[in-house]
Amino acid sequence: MSIHFEKVDYIYSPNSVFEFQALEDVSLDINMGKITAIIGATGSGKTTLVQHLNGLLLPSKGFLTVNDFTIKADEKPKNIKELRKQVGLVFQFAEYQLFEETLIKDVSFGPKNFGVKEKEAEMIAARALVTVGIDPKDFVKSPLELSGGQKRRVAIAGILAMSPSILVLDEPTAGLDPQGAKSMMELFKMLNKEKGITILIVTHNMEHVLEYCDEVVVLEKGQVIMHTDKKQFFKNDKYMEKASIDPPIIIAFKKKCEEYGITFDSDILTIDNLVSEIVKKRGKR
Amino acid sequence: MNNITLGKYIPLNSFVHKLDPRTKIIAMMILLIAIFIPAGFVGYGIIGIFLLISLISSKLSFSFVWKSFKPSLFMLVFLLIINMFIIKTGDVWLTIGSFNLYSGAVIQTVYIVLRLLLMIVITTMLTATTKPLDLTMGLEDLLSPLAKLNVPTHDIAMMISLALRFIPTLLEEAQRILKAQASRGVDMESGSFKEKIQAILSLIVPLFVSSFQKADDLADAMEARGYVVGAKRVRYKKLKFTFFDFITLVSVSGLLVGLILLKVL
Ligand SMILES: Nc1ncnc2c1ncn2[C@@H]1O[C@H](COP(=O)(O)OP(=O)(O)O)[C@@H](O)[C@H]1O
Ligand SMILES: [Mg+2]
Repeated sequence: MSIHFEKVDYIYSPNSVFEFQALEDVSLDINMGKITAIIGATGSGKTTLVQHLNGLLLPSKGFLTVNDFTIKADEKPKNIKELRKQVGLVFQFAEYQLFEETLIKDVSFGPKNFGVKEKEAEMIAARALVTVGIDPKDFVKSPLELSGGQKRRVAIAGILAMSPSILVLDEPTAGLDPQGAKSMMELFKMLNKEKGITILIVTHNMEHVLEYCDEVVVLEKGQVIMHTDKKQFFKNDKYMEKASIDPPIIIAFKKKCEEYGITFDSDILTIDNLVSEIVKKRGKR
Repeated sequence: MNNITLGKYIPLNSFVHKLDPRTKIIAMMILLIAIFIPAGFVGYGIIGIFLLISLISSKLSFSFVWKSFKPSLFMLVFLLIINMFIIKTGDVWLTIGSFNLYSGAVIQTVYIVLRLLLMIVITTMLTATTKPLDLTMGLEDLLSPLAKLNVPTHDIAMMISLALRFIPTLLEEAQRILKAQASRGVDMESGSFKEKIQAILSLIVPLFVSSFQKADDLADAMEARGYVVGAKRVRYKKLKFTFFDFITLVSVSGLLVGLILLKVL
């Protein structure tokens, strides 16, 4: 079980006026069983990168391996369907992919494509819908009757129903209200903890990175310029400033304290860290 | 899917790009008429050479035009096969068992292929070298005599240009949905008939839903910026008819007249 990129280039519309190199010399190892955040400015190639993982895009140069599959230039991986079953990819604004008359039918579409019988597919679908927090009495509703956030949950259920071992989410919380976004992130955390699913999330939300992710991959102009664990990433004040990334509020608070000469001994990543450090300091006085 | 060229504007700086859109629209129509004058292979040769020169002066690449043509190849092969069985004029060129291949069938098919190829080159040149907005303006101007007969020429031109404008957007959207469904195990290529229907539905339905949504949004955006259906509009940009436009029209008309003469004589 592994995800490994080896010197991957990707060029859109090669040999035309629209030619554009979206990925350049990307080499990357994703740690399995973790939640990895993929961040970077708009147009830095995040979507392009993740679409390689289930063979929707093939590298122009280089290759990648995902579990037992090798994805390389000019040649669709053998048994690409199995690859797509193992790597569940949720698109940005995934709600636009719903097409069936009812939620349950739409979610069972995936499993059925992979050869699961109708009855069983619906059972899997029902479980996936419950997992994402859809009320069973809504199962027979039309997707058009739901709110945007609910639709997105249904779309995610559609991917979960294929029981992937790797789940890739392209800006899953974009356009959701803060509460909806938070509970969506909780869902991913739960899937990671309880089912051991390896998760990759493309996001712009640093609070989410801090609170829910383990590792951070930073893309810039199609290149991976950083891949570290979360702790290291948020210690790198200089980089965050240079890339004009707004640090999460806790990190900003800690930094401000340091400017005023208050230093903390251990890492501050959560409110709990912060409060216990403050308590410790008060105790000393 | 990635390299759809249909109706796409290619921003280049060429002689053809700089022509007045009205000139290009008229030239396109004249050329389309010229294609249907049955002046034989010589006629198509002449049109072909003319288009070749125009294509070079438009700086568009041959592969670009080829890509526009490729989707119709399938249809052409189909046509060839049908023609082979239906047309029974001319000499017999080939006999396989009880089947005779007539020269008429082959020649007829070659004609159709040539016509289609030329038509695609002509229309591609128009849409690839003219900005959608310029195209609308040109269309509107050309239709303006009809406005006297209460034909809503501006609305028609606006509709045509919106349709053209949204071809690439729709294709992009279709591509996105295709990818999303492929991630759910949809296989457009293999599978039973029922699965294929399902696969197509999984593309068409979301495409319709999002198109209607886009249409709604667009209507709102236009109204928010003061667009009123049927209102009189003034223009910021004026179209200019230059000497080069004159030359272009004269040469295209010359070509048409020449072909007619070739046919008559
Ligand atoms: N189909 C395409 N054709 C040409 N260029 C594209 C296409 N899709 C994306 N790009 C370009 O590739 C770059 C990276 O895009 P993308 O991976 O979507 O970035 P991100 O997801 O980080 O915003 C962008 O500059 C974008 O314009
Ligand atoms: Mg993106």
